[in-house]
Amino acid sequence: MLRRFVAPSTARACSSALRCYSSAQRPKPSIKLLGELRKLTETSISKAREALVATNNDLDAALKWLEEDLAVSGAKKAAKVEGRTAGEGLVGVSILSPGLGERKEGIRASMVELNCETDFVARNELFSKLLADISHTFAFLAEEPHDFEQQPVLLREYSVDTILDAPLIPSDVTAIPSNTTSVGTAIRDTIAKVGEKIALKRAVAAVMQGASPDERNIDSGARIASYVHGSTSHPSQGRVGSLALIYLKSPNLSKLYKDEAFRTELEKLERGIARQIVGFHTESIYETKETPETALYEQPFAMFPGEYNGQPFRDVLQKWATKHGMIDEGYKDFQGVAVSEFAKWTVGEPLPVNASSVKSAISEGTQ
Amino acid sequence: MFGLRLALPAAVRCGGARGTSRSGPLGVSRVLQTFVPFSKPSLSAGVFVSKRGYAEASGKFSREKPHMNIGTIGHVDHGKTTLTAAITKVLSEKGGAKFTDYSQIDKAPEEKARGITINSSHVEYETDKRHYGHIDCPGHADYIKNMITGAAQMDGAIIVVSASDGQMPQTREHLLLARQVGIKKLVVFINKVDQIEDDEMLELVEMEMRELLSTYNFDGENTPIVMGSALAALESRNDEIGSEKIRELVKSCDEWLELPPRDFDKPFLMPIEDVFSISGRGTVCTGRVERGVINKGDEVEILGLGSSLKTTLTGIEMFHKELDRGEPGDNMGALLRGVKREQVRRGQVICAPGSIKSVKKFQAQIYVLTKDEGGRYTSFMQNYRPQLFLRTADITVSLTFPEGTPDAAEKMVMPGDNVEMVCDLVHDCAAEVGTRFTLREGGKTVGTGIVTKIFT
Repeated sequence: MLRRFVAPSTARACSSALRCYSSAQRPKPSIKLLGELRKLTETSISKAREALVATNNDLDAALKWLEEDLAVSGAKKAAKVEGRTAGEGLVGVSILSPGLGERKEGIRASMVELNCETDFVARNELFSKLLADISHTFAFLAEEPHDFEQQPVLLREYSVDTILDAPLIPSDVTAIPSNTTSVGTAIRDTIAKVGEKIALKRAVAAVMQGASPDERNIDSGARIASYVHGSTSHPSQGRVGSLALIYLKSPNLSKLYKDEAFRTELEKLERGIARQIVGFHTESIYETKETPETALYEQPFAMFPGEYNGQPFRDVLQKWATKHGMIDEGYKDFQGVAVSEFAKWTVGEPLPVNASSVKSAISEGTQ
Repeated sequence: MFGLRLALPAAVRCGGARGTSRSGPLGVSRVLQTFVPFSKPSLSAGVFVSKRGYAEASGKFSREKPHMNIGTIGHVDHGKTTLTAAITKVLSEKGGAKFTDYSQIDKAPEEKARGITINSSHVEYETDKRHYGHIDCPGHADYIKNMITGAAQMDGAIIVVSASDGQMPQTREHLLLARQVGIKKLVVFINKVDQIEDDEMLELVEMEMRELLSTYNFDGENTPIVMGSALAALESRNDEIGSEKIRELVKSCDEWLELPPRDFDKPFLMPIEDVFSISGRGTVCTGRVERGVINKGDEVEILGLGSSLKTTLTGIEMFHKELDRGEPGDNMGALLRGVKREQVRRGQVICAPGSIKSVKKFQAQIYVLTKDEGGRYTSFMQNYRPQLFLRTADITVSLTFPEGTPDAAEKMVMPGDNVEMVCDLVHDCAAEVGTRFTLREGGKTVGTGIVTKIFT
């Protein structure tokens, strides 16, 4: 409490000293330009004033001044809010390539959690855009796991620090990526504008190369399903999010996949699965501890509207595969649809201690 | 003190919803006693208050001044708490408040209202004209929960903006929230003016604020904007920007923010809790008067559950004694002319003719309780059918998403969500915009809501 009382008053002393110095030598800022500058940049009143004073009321120069100043003042602001708790925010999902499809077969998807202090800021456009850019950047840049043989899990959590240094690739493809903006500086710039602590909490991505076109006669494939809950502005951002890896196997797969009706139905099922993971208290795929209903396969599939609604999850997958022609009598191996991995995040939840938040059927011991 | 006022209706309403099982045996004994009104809810209210520690020795709550709830909304660094502390300090000089220092204002403690956890801090103070309950919540979701539960319905708000920053990007979200919780008028406090020397810049802050207010359908032109320094007031220095400005701010609140209509001034309404037939006298309905005043001999309408009839109230009784007049909060018995016992039942309301309509379909803002609050632990999709408890009525309801919701068939609602939904009732019941209700399923309260739109 003491710190909060002291800090503002010292800051004020400094800034007023500065102001006296500058007003003695420099011209008065134009209020009209000040208003325009505010509309263009969302910068604070005092910063906008400083910019105009420094550039002698030249709007373009002031804009440039502000851009250059952002690095310094943003860092200062970020340092000031560093110690605060950021428990609100959003989970954002970005899927560049969902896996087995008409043309592309690779997977490129990411989910990140970005935190701020209040849900007012979380609902703001600036925050939402920042998150969209970060999740897009991450999905774009994440690398295929090189140790897949030893650790057969596709959804991988990445250290937040590695992402902060990455160049920001805007999710809006028409925007020109700037060479100087990294994820870290983009976060810092937003902190300067909204005045709250913003922190990248965690990130997970799935990357898999697609098969080459001449190997297209395939009998198995993988897809990424996702769901976010509690969206306010952006449909792929919300309070809770899930990414799930869906495994498909059928001797008829390449033929089925040419059928648009099959693809539409499959996407519906995938959305249902991702929604089920979020809507129920899902902690594992098969593994049951004290409470069986935390295992996805033991739950009633209540989040899948239609004829199978509410039937056991395991049965629904089987029935669905049979109905849609994935099962071939003569085939020995597993056939149909399976959930092999998933990650489910809620904003502000504590991170699991010494454990990954990715659940994998393989690490649980496949049945 | 105002906690008592707030807690009472909520507790009573909960009592009403739970009371179904009790009416059987009690009802019989009451028929024998003839004509005795209901009196059960005071107990739960008492428990509520003592838990919140409001029963201070300092004195009694005076009802002389009209009460109003206001809130502060603003960016975390713009001095909401300092302003709240400054208001109590300045008003305490005249005995209108107990000075609550910055450090004593609890940063949004958790509390339970109707079983729902809400984070909000409260203080109270008095001006010459009014008594204010003042709340401050950390986030959007908490203000919404406050509105839905009615724990501290905000009738007005003070938007706090720092002069050195001006409005922030999220100030838009603050104004949208104020709209959403039904606030029609705001007062703006531009804080930290001592950090700005240039008067023209303050004018710019004011101009921008008025523009923004108008964008969000507030009266930007006439909204009072007060410029001062809460810290100066708190530290008793620079009175011209400190305490004087705080006094100006509360005066603006007194003059600009409109008092909500008092229950006394609204048209009469009493939900029927029980019905008896008394030989030699006729049919008597008991209940607690929700609002309005009724006199012996007045025309009344009985509404809900598929019927509607008009009659005259020929007698009012409370505590075995006859009365000429029933008032809000009274647990009374109402003797109805020419009405058979079978024609009225629990769940209907007795009201001033034409003052409220019986409806079957409305839109509502609903908060879905989390598992920790005793609610569901799984999500639901549309066409979910819980029981809706509204006053004393208990009706099956079907919930759907409002027309035009994208992907409504695949949309789900999770515990902890605030969601706008359309409620389709199996039977009609008296309701209007602002009526509150709870949703229950299998003995659990799963949600609580407030009517936002009536479909006719």
